[in-house]
Amino acid sequence: MKQIATFIVNEKHYELAIEPHMLLVEVLRDELGLTGTKHSCGIGSCGACTVLIDGRPTLACLTLALTVRGKDIRTIEGLAQGTTLHPIQKTFVEHGAIQCGYCTPGMVLSAKALLDKNLNPTEQEVKHALSGNLCRCTGYIKIIDAVLAAAEAMSKEAHP
Amino acid sequence: MSQKLSVVGKRIIQPDAAAKATGNAIYASDITIPGMLIGRVLRSPYPHAKIKRIDKSKAENLPGVEALITPEDTAQWKKFDRGLKDLPMIAGGYTVPADEGVLNERARHFGDAIAAVAAINEHIAEEALELIEVEYEELPFVIDPEEAMKPGATQISDFAGSNIGKHMSYAFPEGDVEKALGEADCVVEGTFTTTKQEHCTAESAAAVARIDISGRLIVWSQCQLAHLARREIAHIFNMPVRKVKLITPVIGGSFGQRGSLCAEPICIALALKTGKPVKLVYSREENFIALESRTGFKCNLKIGFKKDGTLTAIQVYMLGRLGGYMGCGPMASAIGMIFGLGHYRCPNRAGEADMVMTNTPVSGAFRGFGNPAIMWGIEQLVDEAAEKLNMDPLTIRLKNIKRAGEIANMGLCLESTYLEECIKRGAKAIGWREKWGKTKKGKTRRGVGVATMTHCSGAAPLYLDHSNAFVKLNEDGSADLVVHPAPVGQHIWGALSQIAAEELGIHAEDINIVTGDTDVTLFEYGSDASRSTYAVGNATLMAAHEAKEQILARAAEMLDVSSEALKISDRKISSRTDPKKSISVAEVCYDAIYNFKGECLNISGKCSWESKWNSPPAGAFFAEVEVNTDTGQVTVIRFVTAMDCGKAINPMAVEGQLEGGMQQGIGYGLTEDYVINKDTGVVETDNYDSYKMPGILDMPKTKVIIIDEPDPKGPFGAKGVGEPGMVGVAPAIANAIYDAIGVRIKDLPITPEKVLEVLLDLR
Repeated sequence: MKQIATFIVNEKHYELAIEPHMLLVEVLRDELGLTGTKHSCGIGSCGACTVLIDGRPTLACLTLALTVRGKDIRTIEGLAQGTTLHPIQKTFVEHGAIQCGYCTPGMVLSAKALLDKNLNPTEQEVKHALSGNLCRCTGYIKIIDAVLAAAEAMSKEAHP
Repeated sequence: MSQKLSVVGKRIIQPDAAAKATGNAIYASDITIPGMLIGRVLRSPYPHAKIKRIDKSKAENLPGVEALITPEDTAQWKKFDRGLKDLPMIAGGYTVPADEGVLNERARHFGDAIAAVAAINEHIAEEALELIEVEYEELPFVIDPEEAMKPGATQISDFAGSNIGKHMSYAFPEGDVEKALGEADCVVEGTFTTTKQEHCTAESAAAVARIDISGRLIVWSQCQLAHLARREIAHIFNMPVRKVKLITPVIGGSFGQRGSLCAEPICIALALKTGKPVKLVYSREENFIALESRTGFKCNLKIGFKKDGTLTAIQVYMLGRLGGYMGCGPMASAIGMIFGLGHYRCPNRAGEADMVMTNTPVSGAFRGFGNPAIMWGIEQLVDEAAEKLNMDPLTIRLKNIKRAGEIANMGLCLESTYLEECIKRGAKAIGWREKWGKTKKGKTRRGVGVATMTHCSGAAPLYLDHSNAFVKLNEDGSADLVVHPAPVGQHIWGALSQIAAEELGIHAEDINIVTGDTDVTLFEYGSDASRSTYAVGNATLMAAHEAKEQILARAAEMLDVSSEALKISDRKISSRTDPKKSISVAEVCYDAIYNFKGECLNISGKCSWESKWNSPPAGAFFAEVEVNTDTGQVTVIRFVTAMDCGKAINPMAVEGQLEGGMQQGIGYGLTEDYVINKDTGVVETDNYDSYKMPGILDMPKTKVIIIDEPDPKGPFGAKGVGEPGMVGVAPAIANAIYDAIGVRIKDLPITPEKVLEVLLDLR
């Protein structure tokens, strides 16, 4: 039977009636139309469905939606300020880190979780932070470049 | 050819990148239409079985189920060749029989489609699948192609007298191979096997279909070959082409897999049955079992050399596993032979292939299309010969690679090649001289290896390589470019914008790409065979050129000079001799459209382009590996790809193609293994928990070297670069392993078990 629950997605409150078996990825995509969160492997192996829950990268394809009601859910749609891209989005675009783009939202959010804690990561720390996100197009090279460049840009912004 | 270029060669940002970065790009699987139903497919649990009876009643009565179709319902539609490739070609009028129905009453492989439902949501659709009762009659099945070729093996196809779906011969045989091998000073030979690599596109196969108010069928299709897909869909469903509109959405990866029809036929069947919009998105597991993946081969290779290292003969036999339907697997052997026998000068060449049907998921095109399979063996054997002849692996290659002016792999003149530069610059970057051939000791041993290759820029002259472009200039001097390559992530829109802008003398951001709708776009063969930048690029260049001539003619009149005296760049037309005489492109275009002197013209250009040439890209691959002799674990620690892909239209995009190819090559070499249970026919690797594609931690230090020399035939000198990047990776790794530990692995992938086994044999 459906239950009423409040979800806080990208700082907006949504009251929804959902089945208890519904996954977070379904609620985001099908109920809220936030299709930036991607569905790919369905078993938590590829990271395409990564969202941030209270700042922590979380796999929306393995998360029952009701378990995250009331929590701070951040999706790819919540990063840019209007048409101004988040620094990580900007460096992904500028460094050619996006090819087919289907893994990009998950990659960007995993990178955000890292950079929100550590503005000066080593290449190895970047790799570990993104090790749960699979990409088939890029060989990850330009993704690493983009995250390191974003770290530098965000660091300058934080400590001008 | 040296040209001052202002747009081509720049690292421009892709027009679609920001939408992808923000989650605003709409992929097929993201589409929602009011009233849309969700499709799901019931698949065979057996590798070979006759469907004796299907009881639909329980499933049909489930509330929310709107349609349930079985082979009986789909028999009204024509069978098809999902590979779409019945274009004339020189290699003996290649055709593939249409052997596959939308649904089939005999399952020919594990995962073959038996029935499909459309329901109001996915949960009900899935529940309905469980309620369908199917009575199967299990049939004898065959997994191994050699078994399938034996007399008395269970017969898979309806059309062939045996399970040999297609016998292919090398398209450019020459000389007398047997004689040359007999006379050779050194003969190296071996059997090399490769696996059925899965594409692992990030987005699953997906399609959306609906019937519009005039009864037309609208299909959102990820197909790389949109116009061929439209033709085939019209054919299957007994419609005139004009009744089908195909829309290409943003595509979440392809690599050749979407070169065939995937989710479209079943999705369309459900839409026709219900009259409602239907979306069908395959699960990850269905991607593994229902779609085409790379053709697995067993290659018997024999190469002859003279004492001085001159290559004199190559003989090839390829045995390929097609699967339950023909698909586009047969061509993998033809392409493999053309490339495998193509980049070295060799007066005696012959090749044969048997492409065999088995009760396994279907094989098809995947980046490199047969080339990686054959180079896996050829490039190891060349190293073996070098050792026997006491030569360096680089020297033997430099001695035998073709030079400009010779006949290239596709039987056409090799207009340009810089493979020598690739070998030399790549060797320097990996530290060849310091690292190769040194005595290795200890538990972990390092080695370096090389492999070289060539590929193609488009499908000519094998296929009819036909592209169209239309460009029209707007009143503000911007331009709409109407083209229809598949945007699979290769940055093709950006590359075509650069080509058009360079020719028109405007900026890349002035170009608006109009695409993805077969109602609007002219015929386009599509995006495969590393052809979009080269062939669609040439069409774009010629269309832009035609428009430019109109701009210059009108500008000449407006400036009262001769058009030959004019140049166009940076959105301006100016006189070469009198710099004061100048006018903007925008002014000319505005005056042409809003012309009150009775000379209205929408400046435009169109080109129907048929490639008569093929400028093969070529490259050298260098791996440095570390082998743990206790565990057999191989780690690639450094990888260098040096590529002659002509002039790089956008070096950043070219690097992206080569880096991605590297990753797929490392997976092909070391970890990706498509496992089919021999006793049950069940695919055991159907998701990323069991099938291991390289993650970010598996990537070595990498370097990409682009030679960046223009080719005379490509648009602004470009060649194709989509596929070559993965072709030489696995043999370079194998050769590096040999350098490290002195053993050869001839069976892909190179797992620790295989390495350990040969090491133990050695001890």
